Amino acid sequence: MTAKTGWIDRRSLLAGASATIAAPAIVRAQGKSLKIALMLPRSGFFAQAGQSCYRGALATPKVLSDLGYNVEIVHIDTESSNDVSRTQAEKAINDGAQCVIGAFESGNTIAIAQVCEQRKVPLICNIASAPQLTGQGYQYLVRNFMTGPGLVTNGLKLIGEVSKAANLDLKTAVFMHSNDTFGTAQSQAMGKIFPTLNMPFKIVESIAYDPKAQDLSVEVTKVRGINPDLLMIVTRAGDAIKLTRDMVRQKLQPKAIMSPGSPGLYDEEFFKAVGPYADGFIYNLPWFNVKSQMTQALEASFKKTNPNHRFDLDGFNAGFTFEALLVAADAFKRAGSGDGETLMKAIKATNIKDHVMIGGPIMFNEKGDNPNIGSASVQNIGQKPTVVYPADVAVAKPILPFPAWQGRK
Amino acid sequence: MKGALSFLTPRSTIALLVCGVALLIAPFVVDRYTLSIILLALLGTYLGQAWNILMGYCGLLSLGHALYLGLGAYASAILFVNYGVGPWLSVFVAMALAIGAAAVLGWLGFRFRIEDVYFSLLTIAFAEIVRIGFDNWSFVGGAAGFFLPVNASLSHQWWNLRGGPLFFYYLALAMAVASLVIAAVLRSSKLGYAFLAIREDPQAARALGVNINRTRFLALFISAAMTAVGGVYLAFWTNNLFPAQILETSKSIEIILAPIIGGLGTLMGPFVGAFLLVPLGSALTDGLRAIGLSAPGVKALVYGLILMAIIAATPNGIWPWLARKLGLEAREP
Repeated sequence: MTAKTGWIDRRSLLAGASATIAAPAIVRAQGKSLKIALMLPRSGFFAQAGQSCYRGALATPKVLSDLGYNVEIVHIDTESSNDVSRTQAEKAINDGAQCVIGAFESGNTIAIAQVCEQRKVPLICNIASAPQLTGQGYQYLVRNFMTGPGLVTNGLKLIGEVSKAANLDLKTAVFMHSNDTFGTAQSQAMGKIFPTLNMPFKIVESIAYDPKAQDLSVEVTKVRGINPDLLMIVTRAGDAIKLTRDMVRQKLQPKAIMSPGSPGLYDEEFFKAVGPYADGFIYNLPWFNVKSQMTQALEASFKKTNPNHRFDLDGFNAGFTFEALLVAADAFKRAGSGDGETLMKAIKATNIKDHVMIGGPIMFNEKGDNPNIGSASVQNIGQKPTVVYPADVAVAKPILPFPAWQGRK
Repeated sequence: MKGALSFLTPRSTIALLVCGVALLIAPFVVDRYTLSIILLALLGTYLGQAWNILMGYCGLLSLGHALYLGLGAYASAILFVNYGVGPWLSVFVAMALAIGAAAVLGWLGFRFRIEDVYFSLLTIAFAEIVRIGFDNWSFVGGAAGFFLPVNASLSHQWWNLRGGPLFFYYLALAMAVASLVIAAVLRSSKLGYAFLAIREDPQAARALGVNINRTRFLALFISAAMTAVGGVYLAFWTNNLFPAQILETSKSIEIILAPIIGGLGTLMGPFVGAFLLVPLGSALTDGLRAIGLSAPGVKALVYGLILMAIIAATPNGIWPWLARKLGLEAREP
């Protein structure tokens, strides 16, 4: 005789219960969400970039949800401070964060990394370029971003490649950079890397300038006197505006103006301030892949969550922040657990082929770096950052030599 | 030492003991987040006390103490990473370097009678020169920073300051207590009275036979050396150094806030100031998040308003007012 419990018999009920109990954690995890502390410098010195990353994070849940991932994001402002980063990481983990993502700046990220290491909670770095971040033996840290020297190396190589693709013969270059922390670091990396790359042009002059100066007319006059084929610049938005205005005023017209990797030339304030004169600049950076379906989904979500902002200007920060969240969500789904050790193992085994930024699959090497991140040459065309090289991700051809200043509307 | 403790009334002795015991057992009572806040407050106490010796006691306003902090931090970190010299030894090199820098600054300032606000400008200029120099000096990592290894195999080498949070907490506590003792001993010493005399009226002090330049140099050296020790702690605690962070003028301002809010020239001022400001910052962060206000920058605004209100309500700092209220002020010189 078989005992029946409504429409289900006892044997089926027992089998079902056993299966539920014995089912791998992965099945049970489907209904749960991963609690992620997203730590960004939304105020303080790095606020502009932190806010840009934040806007990307606002657009993320919809895309992840459509992909079948379930995450709960807690937004934390690091105030661009190491001390705040450290204490807030402690608080986030106390409050149940199972994974931490951040923190745009290397010093802040290291402060958080130490807490995560002690508490055995994975930290996924969205953006931070200090090479030493991943070279110090942290077990609970991975970085889905390039190192500073990697950025410069790729940036320089692309200058050679894009000019060759455009049949542009470059023999001489002047390197102009701001003398703030970022510009100086880039200049130091340039000094080490440039001689090793056998570039087709030589740097005839290196000019450091104060980004807070009223204007850059003296520096531009100096460049004009040298008359190089290529002007390489490392700027932020404020000095990029001053530099452009002085170049237009003095009609400085090299064959190409390119940045081996710096912000400024694709910032909203730059486009607003110089309008049509923003066109023509090329910058070589890791960039979002416009042709990727996931990028298109992120852009659509971004437009809804941030109607007053342009995705093409936020895409760099937003894309990397999205990808860090994607890595966490994907690892959680595979691990079926938010336990630090299990989750970290899953993060290290990441292999995501379809994603937002240009490059190969997202995966991490022994140090915890993603070696597959690619860079692209992006040119301002029609006041819009446009990928012009390499061909497989480009949506337009590079406009070279640099278009004349005169007659722009 | 007995004279140094003469400021203690029975009531203030009990208050100090209660604070001491509370800080000793804190790691076993509070969570890690709270402990990290207390640690920052202890560090603020120590650095504030170091600065207070120069400004609060001797009347020399330094707005460039980040210089000594940075020199101490970089010296110990470089000696450890590049030459294998442990921090217990390199701390003396750090102090010597800071004293050397202070000697140059003091020579310029005192020899050429650069007084008051101009002396303050000189301190800023020195700190800025060193910051820019370090930004461009590849030996110290330049603007890209200098990093100490965070290797799991080193994590138990407490003698190399490679311990965990508990170790750094008790070290910060020991440093804060030591700074209090140093300040107390100084205040009750002949040198301490010379500091106070110069602060109140340099000409009168000179007339009384106080060698003003020598005394000011001593105050500067003590303050610089103590701050450099704080730099050694910071280097090994944070494991990364960037000129833009540790040598910045904002770091100097951060150091001086606690003693100014707590009470300039008082023994307990830096302690009270640090234990008010650090938790206040964290409480504002948590409070704003708890009420769902996601507007970065609001915290800085509210924080600034509170500081203005405190300064308006207690122009001499919180400690003199608090001491009066609690009946602890009796023997505070």
